[in-house]
Formats: sequence, C-alpha cells, structure tokens
Amino acid sequence: MSEPIIRVENISKRFGGVIALNEVSLSIFPGEICCLVGENGSGKSTLIKIISGVYAPDEGDIYLNNKLYKKLTPIDSIREGIQVIYQDFSLFPNLTVAENIAINHQLAHRKNLVNWQEVEKIAREGLQRINIELPLDELVENLSTADRQLIAIAKAILADARLIIMDEPTTALTQKEVIALFKVIIDLKERGISTLFVSHKLNEVREIAERTVIIRNGKKVLDQDARGIDIATMEYHMTGRRLDSSNIAFSPPGDMHTPLLKVENLSLRHGFVDVSFALRKNEVLGITGLLGSGRTELALALFGELPADSGRIFVQGKEVHINSIQQAVKNQIGYVPDDRIQQGLFLDQSINDNIIISVIDRLVTRIGLIKSKTKNEVSNQWIQRMAIKTPSGKLPVKTLSGGNQQRVVLAKWLATMPKILILNGPTVGVDVGSKAEIHELIRQLANEGIGIILISDDIPELFQTCHRILLMRTGRIVEEYQRNDIDEQELYQRLIFSENQAKAVSED
Amino acid sequence: MFGRFRVKKLIRSNEFVIFLILLFLSLTIGAINPAFFTISTLFDTLRSSIVFLILAYGLLPIVIAGGIDISFVAIAATTSYATHMFLLKQGYDGGILLYYLIAGGAGILAGLLNAFLVTQFKLPIFDVSLAMFTMWYGFNLFFVGATANFSLPKGTVGFYNIFVFTAQDPNMGETGLHITVLLALGLGLIIWWFLKYTTLGRGVYAIGGNREVAVRSGFNVRLIFFVIFGIMGLFSAIAGVTQAFLSRYFNPVIFITQPLDVLAAIILGGAAITGGSGSIIGTTLGVLVIQVINRALILTGIPVEWQRFVVGVILILFTSIPALRNLRAKRMGHTSQLTQSD
Amino acid sequence: MTEESTPKVTKNSQVTIFLKHLHIDGQTLLLTGVFITLTLFFTFTVQKFFTPRSITSMAFQLPELGILSLAMMITILCGGINLSVNATSNLAAVVAGLFLTRMIPTEVDPNLLGWYVIGAFIIAILVGFLCGVLNGVMIGYIGVPPILATLATFTFFTGISTGLTKGVTVTGFPESVSIIGSKTIAGIPIPFIIFVVFTLLTYIILNGTPFGFKTRMIGTNPTAAEFSAVENRKVLLGVYVLSGILSAVTGILVMSRTMSAAYEYGTTTYVLLTILISVLAGVIPGFGKVIDIFIAVLILQVLSTGFHMLLTGVRGSSFFRDFAWGILLIIIFIVNYFVRGRTQND
Repeated sequence: MSEPIIRVENISKRFGGVIALNEVSLSIFPGEICCLVGENGSGKSTLIKIISGVYAPDEGDIYLNNKLYKKLTPIDSIREGIQVIYQDFSLFPNLTVAENIAINHQLAHRKNLVNWQEVEKIAREGLQRINIELPLDELVENLSTADRQLIAIAKAILADARLIIMDEPTTALTQKEVIALFKVIIDLKERGISTLFVSHKLNEVREIAERTVIIRNGKKVLDQDARGIDIATMEYHMTGRRLDSSNIAFSPPGDMHTPLLKVENLSLRHGFVDVSFALRKNEVLGITGLLGSGRTELALALFGELPADSGRIFVQGKEVHINSIQQAVKNQIGYVPDDRIQQGLFLDQSINDNIIISVIDRLVTRIGLIKSKTKNEVSNQWIQRMAIKTPSGKLPVKTLSGGNQQRVVLAKWLATMPKILILNGPTVGVDVGSKAEIHELIRQLANEGIGIILISDDIPELFQTCHRILLMRTGRIVEEYQRNDIDEQELYQRLIFSENQAKAVSED
Repeated sequence: MFGRFRVKKLIRSNEFVIFLILLFLSLTIGAINPAFFTISTLFDTLRSSIVFLILAYGLLPIVIAGGIDISFVAIAATTSYATHMFLLKQGYDGGILLYYLIAGGAGILAGLLNAFLVTQFKLPIFDVSLAMFTMWYGFNLFFVGATANFSLPKGTVGFYNIFVFTAQDPNMGETGLHITVLLALGLGLIIWWFLKYTTLGRGVYAIGGNREVAVRSGFNVRLIFFVIFGIMGLFSAIAGVTQAFLSRYFNPVIFITQPLDVLAAIILGGAAITGGSGSIIGTTLGVLVIQVINRALILTGIPVEWQRFVVGVILILFTSIPALRNLRAKRMGHTSQLTQSD
Repeated sequence: MTEESTPKVTKNSQVTIFLKHLHIDGQTLLLTGVFITLTLFFTFTVQKFFTPRSITSMAFQLPELGILSLAMMITILCGGINLSVNATSNLAAVVAGLFLTRMIPTEVDPNLLGWYVIGAFIIAILVGFLCGVLNGVMIGYIGVPPILATLATFTFFTGISTGLTKGVTVTGFPESVSIIGSKTIAGIPIPFIIFVVFTLLTYIILNGTPFGFKTRMIGTNPTAAEFSAVENRKVLLGVYVLSGILSAVTGILVMSRTMSAAYEYGTTTYVLLTILISVLAGVIPGFGKVIDIFIAVLILQVLSTGFHMLLTGVRGSSFFRDFAWGILLIIIFIVNYFVRGRTQND
C-alpha cells in the first residue's frame, strides 16, 4: 500500500484539567473515504484542529506525507494538501464568490499581491472541477446554504488538496443536497483525493464510509473497514451503551371534534399557500418537506414572527389573530427554533435566566418587582423536571452539551404552560444519546395533553415521534400520512423526489 | 448584457448613493446661493477637507477590520505638537520634511502600541483606543505643553502659500489650491492600492468579515493588525503636522472633539460599523459631504447659531433613511432571510 | 469536568460561590482594591487629602459624572451606546434655564418662586424624556445603529441648545436654584445624596424588574429575546428614555452648581469619560453592575483630586490625571486578561 497522507501517533491534548484526546493514532491513505464518528464533545473537532495545525498537541507525533512536523501551523498543513471544510464553511460573507474560492491559493503560494484576473481564472477553474456555475462577483452573504457548501468544496479542491476533511458537512443540508455531496466525494476519490468525513449522522456514515473510526471521550474505540458495521454497532461504540427504540408506546390522540389548533386556508406571500390542517390534544403532528417548501415559514406564521396574509386560525375552537409573538404566547403557543444558538439561547447568560425569560412578567409582585425566590424555584423545578445535567443553574448555558441546551429551550416554553408546542428540527446538532431522550420527552409531553407540531426532515425522527405526518412541497401541504400507512423508505423517496415531480407539474 | 449588469451594480452601490447625495446637496446650495459655484468655494472646501481625508484614510482599514478607534486624534495631536516643541528647543530652522519624518515615526510607534495591546492581551480595539485617547492627550498637555504655539521655523513659513495651481476668482481675486491636496490624494491612492491589491489588504476585509475564519485560512492576523495600526499612527501624525502648517500654529488639543466626526464620515461613505466593508472612494465622498454641509450652511443664510441644528437634522435623516429602507426590505422579503439557516 | 477537579480547585470554587452570594465578583474586588490602594496612596502622600473638607468637596464634584455614567451604562447593557448623554443634559439645562430667565413675570410673588424652580426641573426632566424617545424610536423602531443614531442626535440636541441660546451662556437664575447643587444635609452634600438615590434606583430597575432583566437579555442576544416573546422595541425605547431622564438629572445638577446653562458644557470629553467609566467597570452588552460603576466613579474622583493636590503649583495637574487614568485603564485591562486566563485554565 502507498504511503499515508497523514499519520498521527499517540496524540494527546488537554484543555486545563480536561483530557480532550487521549493517545489517539490515525492514518489516512490516498483515495480513501474515512468516516470519523463520535458524539459532540468526544474529541472529533480537537483531532481535526490538530491535524490542520490550529491546535498543537501536548504529546504525540504528526507526519504529513511522511514528514514529521514538530510545530504544525495552518499554512504548513495547507501546503501539505490538507483542506478542512468546517461546519460553518469558513467563508467570508463580505467577499465575492471568486475571492472566497481563490483566497487559499493566494495564501498557500505566499503571494503578497493580488492579480484579480488570476483570481477570477482560479475561481472559474474551481467551479468547473465540481461542475457547477455560480456568479463569480456575487457576495457570499447573498447565497443559499447549499451554494456556500459548494464554494467551500471548490475552494478546498483547488488548493491541490490531497485530503479534504469535512466537519459535519451535512448539518445545514437537506437530503437532496446530501446526495449531491456524496457524488462529489466519490468523484474526488476517483481522482485520488481522500476524504475524512466527520459526522454523527450514522445513516450517512453507513452510506459513504469505506473505513469507520469511532472516538469516545477522547479515545479511539473502533477503527475498521466500514462493511459489516451496522448502525446499532456504531451507536454502541459512540455512547458506550445500547439504545433501544423499538418499543415506543404511543398514546392515542384526543378527539377530532374540538381540535387544539385548526388552520384554514392560511397563506403567506413567498411562504406558503392555502394551508389547512388540525392538531388534536395529545397529538404529535409531523410536518416535513425540503428547504423552501414553506415548512419553516408556516411555523413562524403560527408563532406570529411572520404573520400570515390571509386565512383563519382557531385555538380550541375560538378564532384568534396572531400578528405578533406576544399574541402567539398569549394563545399558549410555544416555538422551539431550528437555529438554537441564534434564536433559542442566550449562551452567556445563566441556565436559570434562559428558562425564566418567557415567564418573567408573571413572576412579579404588585409593585412590579421580581420575586427572586419564586424565580429560583421555577427555574430549579424545570432543571429537575427536564433532567438538565448541570452542577448549578447559575452557570452559563454555553457550558451545556447540545442535548441539554435543547432541554433548556424546551423548559423555557414549557414554563409558560403551553397547549401547543411547535418544534422546528428539535434534534439538529444533538448527539445520539440525547436525541433518543428528547424523542422520549416529546412523546411524554404529548401524553400530558400538549399538542405538538414537529417540523423535521429527519425521517426516522418523524417515525419515532409522530402520529401523523404532513408533507409540504412548494408552499402547499400535498400529502398526509398516518404513521402506520407508510414506511421510512417510502416517505424518504417521496420527500426527495417530490421536487422534480413538482417541477414537471409546474412546467406542464 | 455584461455592461448593463455592471451599470446596475454601480447604481446600487453605496458610493453611487453618497455621490448622488453630494450632487443633490451641491445643487440645492448652489440654487440658494450661486456663490457656492465659485472656484474659491471649491478650493476652500477641498482645503478644509485635506486633513480630514488623511485622518479618515488612516482609520478606514481599522474600521474595515471591524474596529472602532478614537485614539488616532490624540496620536495626531501629540506627535505633531511634541515634534514641534522638540525642534523648537533645538533651534531648528529648516524645512517641513523633518517634521513629517519625526512625527510620522512617533505616530507609527504609537499605533503599534495599540496593536500590541489589542493582539497580545486580546482586548477590544475600542477599549484600548479609549485609554490611549485619554493617555496621549494627558501626556501632551502635561509633559509637553498646554498652550498653542505660533512660532514656526523659518524654513517652513513659505509652505503656507505653495499651491498646485491658482485661479482668478471674480469676487475673491487670486485663489489657490494648496499643495497638500496632492498629499491627501497620494495617501488615498496608497490605501486604495493596499486594500485592493495586496494580500494583507484583502486580509483586512477578511478579518472584518469573520476574524476566526481569517485565522483558520492562514492569514497572519497579528501582522495585519500591526500594519493597519501602524498606518493609522503614521497617517494621524501626517494629518496633525499638515493641519498645523495649514493653520500656521501648533495646538496640543487639536482634533479632540472630532474622532467621532471622522468615524461618521467613513460610515456615511458606506463602511459597515461592524466591519467587512468600506472603500476609499466612499470615504472620500463621505468626508466631502460633511465638509460641503459645513461650508454650505454659511452660504445658505441660515443663522450661525442654528447651523448645527440643521446639520443634526440632516444627520438624523441620513442615518434613518437607509435603516427605514432595510426595515421595509426585511418586511417584504423576510422569508428568504429567516429561512436561510433552514 | 468535575470529577477531575483537584481539591485546590474545589476550595477556590467554594470561595467563588461564597463571594457570589454576596454579589461580589472579580471585577468588583479588583475595583475596590484599586480604590483602596489609591486612597491610601494619596492619604500618605498628600497631607490634606483624607480630611472632611476634601472629602466633602469630592462628594460635590463626582455626582454629575456619576449619574451621566449610569445613563451611559444602561445603554451599553442593552447592546447600544448613547453618545448624546451630555448633549441631552445640556439641552435639558438650557430649556429649564430659559424658562427660569424668560417665563417668570418680573413682579412675581416670592412665595411662588419656589414653584417656578420646581417647574423648571420638571421641564428639564421632560426634555430628557423627549430626547430619550427620539433616540429610542430611531434605535428600537427604525433600526439605526445606536452609535450613528446618537451621534446624529448629539449634533441635533447641541444644535437646538445653540440655536435657543444663540451660543450664549444662560445665567440669572433665582437664588433657590442653587440649593440642590451647593447645600448639605447632615453634612452630606445634596448632589451626593441624589447620586446615591439614582444609583439605588438604577440598581433596582436593572436587577429587580422584568424590564432590567429583558435589557440584559436583549444585550446578550436580541434575536433570541425576540423569539422569547420579549418586545425588544419597547424595552429599547424604555432604556433610552431612562438614559435621557438620567442625563437630564445631571443637567439639573450642573445648572444648580454653576448657576448657568450652556450648550457646550463638558462637550465630548464628558461623553468619553462616561464610556471610560463603563469600560473600567467592565460593562459589556448583557453584563455589568451598577455597584462597579459607582466604584469606578469614586476611583476617577480620587485620582482627580489626589493628583490635583499632589501636584499643587505644577502647571496643568488635571492633565496628569488624564494621563494616569489612561495608564490605569490599560493596567486594569491587562490584570483582567491574566485573571481571565487563569480562571479559564482552572
């Protein structure tokens, strides 16, 4: 076999008292598609940052193309042909497509001056290599997430990459875009370029990996040929325990006559058209669809952030007008956003304050002062009920794991005693163990009488939690399934192929 | 087709909008008082813009990198005044160049001190500049001197009357465009070139766009900060010396009330206060707009005591209109923005 | 993380928790330390520093900057800034001053004069309120970046003051105006009592009411606040109105102490000083404590009076204070950096 592009031996890294990596070794060979799997906080990101020269390891050796590096810098790593596509794509929103693509080339060749014709040429070449067309002088901030992903890849390939590391590349992508990405990865392989695919989405790993490496708590626990490793095995190695999701108890939803929420002919320009549905007590209603299908706009309309242009909304049989978030909350509607960091949390503020913000107006004395004792009782009560793992509610919310952070957002809304809860991608960026726990929690909340609308394109998630599933396409609800009417594979097909069909229909 | 695309882009650009504002202002003022359209007004406006242009050019890269600095005015005052008092003590009699050399060197060092504090101790640029603002003015006034000084070396006296060219103004007689306009132009060109054609300059935009990503991409962020703060110090010193020779005296508290005015001109010229954008042309137009407003008010017959009020009204309109437009755009095309993270 | 903590770390964190109960954190400790050190230094180096007379004089001087700093602080807390605090304070004083000099009939009943003075103070507060509304609407409702909005209103307010007074200082107030600025109650200067009262009020508003709570949350993450059903616009409007009112109170103190009102009082340097005090007190969007502002103001005053007395006879001693102030700030930044770095490693 040929020489490995990268070989790290017995790498250890500590942050203060915490061991992030403990004697990890890893080699990657030319043309290999290797998946690095682990839960959030397992040490995956630290390992990537060491390979790319952002962090220096405390112990251990790094060989790039068989050359030992004592002190690896980002530029060294780039020169040895290693390119990292970080989760955020590492693009500059204020610069053009062309410059974003060409910037690495510029830096790697230590050019002090910029030749704009050359920049354009390089960018065009980069886009050609992955067969796409984008306007070169458009600013990246005006592009969609999928386009940004493509730019990140074009940029990586251009720098004469031999190994491309993709850190959670699919978090922001829809299923269809994921398939396109896999095609690119296989294309790269054929040209001898290796990929290190870092993920905790196991179905994706299973689809693309040739070799699977799993780390847990900073230690490598598995490194073998990907064939013959099933998802259950991966889950076992990632979490160190067996997860069982086969026996899910669904309680029957309430009666259809007086639904909790009824929506009639709701429309929003640039959003969705003529949407009607009902949500019952005790029910978990899934809404799925691709990016741009109108699913998020629908949620935002029900939550008052993007009030609908026309149509009617009934809560418990009474017509209501939801023109602001305050009105939505008054009607006992809560919303857990998909962008937890931006829209859901105050990262630097305490867990307590993150929970009670939604009810702070109710916790005051007659003269308008906060009852601090009640305030603490309320937040402590929710920390306990949601089993949020923390030594103190006074710690900033950023000290929590993704799963526990999501519980904080849920607690914030549950504290308002909602009747209707809208969850938008509730387990995005949450690790496998917590994901199952959050699903359990969703079912439990439904059992307690809350009506839940769950928006997701994670098919297994829909099947683990929902009674009914609505499929949205270009702003309309096009199909409705009972959970038992359809299986995961079929729903998946309908979800991703729906767009082409829709196009065909509209072109008719 | 391609050409039309370029034109569309130009029309939508910030520079074009601010250019229209400048044009509109000039025409309005000219309509009220035709005296505005005279060579002497043009030369006067340019002359009063020179120093502000130099200060703004020096500050621009820092603003693009996402920083707000106010210490540059203190550096300008201290380096120019201290250089003067030092040379005066030595009995210096020569020309102006030595002033630029000494003050410029000191300015670079002062700028580098900011950069050192910012990068070494990971401090916010604004906080450091606030401390330096107080420190340098305090230093200047206490250790160097607290009174204006009017005794200029012999070799520098003629500098006041060196013109690029002169013209006959029907009302004012002979009037000239001062040579330092070329200095401002030259410095502007250098920054334009630096920002557009050097990798370091592109790094300035990169830092303003996303500092973390700039580090990861392999930009030497520390070096970039040292360079742009060095430029800021140098340009401030040049502005301080130039101002002194244009007004024929050295003032230890010069510019003390003006750091935010310079910043406002840069922002008015289309730079984002949060960093990542901004251009030399925009900055130049921004400075000119403010100078035209100041100059014009005298000509429009508004009573002196109400002129500042009018400037205030204009500023409120200038800042609110783009924000209102954003608000409207957000309401109309809200959906695409909000769901991009989807 | 906790399993790996050494006993030493646990002990440290116990101390931290104890201090947290007293609402004292590193910043407050550091500032108190600096305050005590400076006071001791001047007590030993300057003979008349620690005397009732000089302490009283300090207590007369610091409230103006103190209340103005509170006006600045609350806007920084919600993620903004208010460059118009001093312009607001001057405008309030000018309008109240013009009322007193022009609206009082010549042969007024002396018993009514007191009511006119109180009326003037109410007018000043009203002006502060309106200035705050303008800032709040521009920032909260229209969405102008705070630094630009308040720079514009700074010019606008100063412009109104200049226009109304034709640039001339307004003087000739009734004698009773000076009570607030120059008298004492039980030996304590009235301005200082007012400062303490407004410090307490601000503390209660920021820490004891939903409004203060929301102010901090908006400062941390405005989008998340909006998604948590906080009415950001109303809160921001409230913050700038409060800032305007505090500025107007400062204006009243200034006109009462100097018995005059002018458009140019303390221009620019006062605004920068209030930012400086906020920075020294460690105020950042979402975080910051009123008590730290209070101590920071005391530090500035001790530094100012101390160097003034120490350098008596030396030309421009107040300039040395500015110099020392800048250096002190840098030293505190650097100390904070190392303290921060150490706690991160723990």
